[in-house]
Amino acid sequence: MISPNDQGRFPFGDAGPADVDLSRVWTAVTAEVWRRQPGWIERTAARLLRSPGLARALVTTPSLLLPWLISTVVAFGVGALVSLGPGQPLVWLIAPAIAAVGIAFAYGQGIDPAWELSLSGAVPERMVLLTRVAAVFGLNAVLGLLASVASGAAAALTFGWLLPMTAVCGLALATAVAARSAAVGAGAGVAAWVIAVLASDTASGRLTASVTSAGAYLPYLAVAACCAAIVIYAVRPERGLQ
Amino acid sequence: MNVELTGIQRSFGKNKAVDGVSLELGEGVFGLLGPNGAGKTSLLRVLATVLPPSAGEMRLLDLDPRGPAARRAIRRRLGYLPQNLGYYPSFTVVEFIEYFALLKEMPPAAVQKAVAVAVERVDLGAKAKAKLRTLSGGMLRRVGIAQAIVNNPDLLLLDEPTAGLDPEQRVQFRALLRSLGETATVVVSTHLVEDVGAACSEVALMSAGTIVFRGTPAELTARGAGHDVGDAPMERGYTAVLSAARS
Repeated sequence: MISPNDQGRFPFGDAGPADVDLSRVWTAVTAEVWRRQPGWIERTAARLLRSPGLARALVTTPSLLLPWLISTVVAFGVGALVSLGPGQPLVWLIAPAIAAVGIAFAYGQGIDPAWELSLSGAVPERMVLLTRVAAVFGLNAVLGLLASVASGAAAALTFGWLLPMTAVCGLALATAVAARSAAVGAGAGVAAWVIAVLASDTASGRLTASVTSAGAYLPYLAVAACCAAIVIYAVRPERGLQ
Repeated sequence: MNVELTGIQRSFGKNKAVDGVSLELGEGVFGLLGPNGAGKTSLLRVLATVLPPSAGEMRLLDLDPRGPAARRAIRRRLGYLPQNLGYYPSFTVVEFIEYFALLKEMPPAAVQKAVAVAVERVDLGAKAKAKLRTLSGGMLRRVGIAQAIVNNPDLLLLDEPTAGLDPEQRVQFRALLRSLGETATVVVSTHLVEDVGAACSEVALMSAGTIVFRGTPAELTARGAGHDVGDAPMERGYTAVLSAARS
């Protein structure tokens, strides 16, 4: 501790005290000046996930960035306003496709610019993927439900698309990680959903059968489970960059 | 030993990028030389634990990276600069380096100071709050070096670190390398022999996935005696060893 002398002055001149490491002072000052204040979402995520690194990885998710969010909200808004018929707003039809695309573009080679560097980090790749996918899925589910409720759709339609959305998102993610291409994953998810809707329509004569038919629930669950297994296998640590 | 490799192989289909490399490395700066396609980048990726070997045994920092817990422990003490540095254009220099400090699971309380030290070490203080999209290629390379050294790693892997740096920056960087090599194992992959001569205590030359020479820079230079291909003595040694390996 440096004390002032009898005149109340500190015993050093312009060069500073001999026992003070000015470079350390400089470093401490610059660290304070450059300090970044994380937003409330990142701070909350860091507490919930118990990992500041994972929280930072979460808020850098490409399909959670502002331009993507705005387009998602607009798409759901249009889906809520446009109806195929009485009590049949389009939300149920577009929600699985939107979420599938968002999830395919959540993480991976070619999507995350610093993916190779991220792989060399101590935070496991699987955790980054899981966190980002859960966030994108959750957000899209909430936005879709809000749009459904606001549109006044029947309860079967309001909640019916959640299960197909899970299956379609699983397929998009599994394809994206297996093919190492977000575009391929998104294409697979959207194509599978279109086929499912058209096939249900052809079989039952009702366009909404793909989300309201209880008989389809088990296949959706099976697809989601299989895709989850594929994802877990495809992002095993031993696979690395390939 | 911080790096112990025994018969490491890495194949991509039928192509063997790394073919039976054995190495033991302690503290110091180790140069990895070789022509394009020699396997330097693949070997560095294996060492960085982002690319698993197809065969062989590997221990890094006295740990076996095949186990998830050990791999995580290694990565906390690892610094890695890939050949192609991917970056987030909207991030500032400080945000980018801080992100990777967090991914390396540095204690949050230590991150800010560590970032400041890393930024100062690569002489980017004046650009600390600049967006990455506004930086030149050489500055981005220095940002990459800063994120690699932010956790004061025990094992530092640098793939073509001087690409894009001007001569003055390269001289500063070599001094930084020598300083880092006093307490850590630094592996530098490059095709610039002058970097090796100025900064490395030991050098290996790779060709077709194998190490065809290992020794000091002076020993590599000595191999060039009587060889006339190359402008500088060490370049003559480099080409002499490569010619012998290919014949």
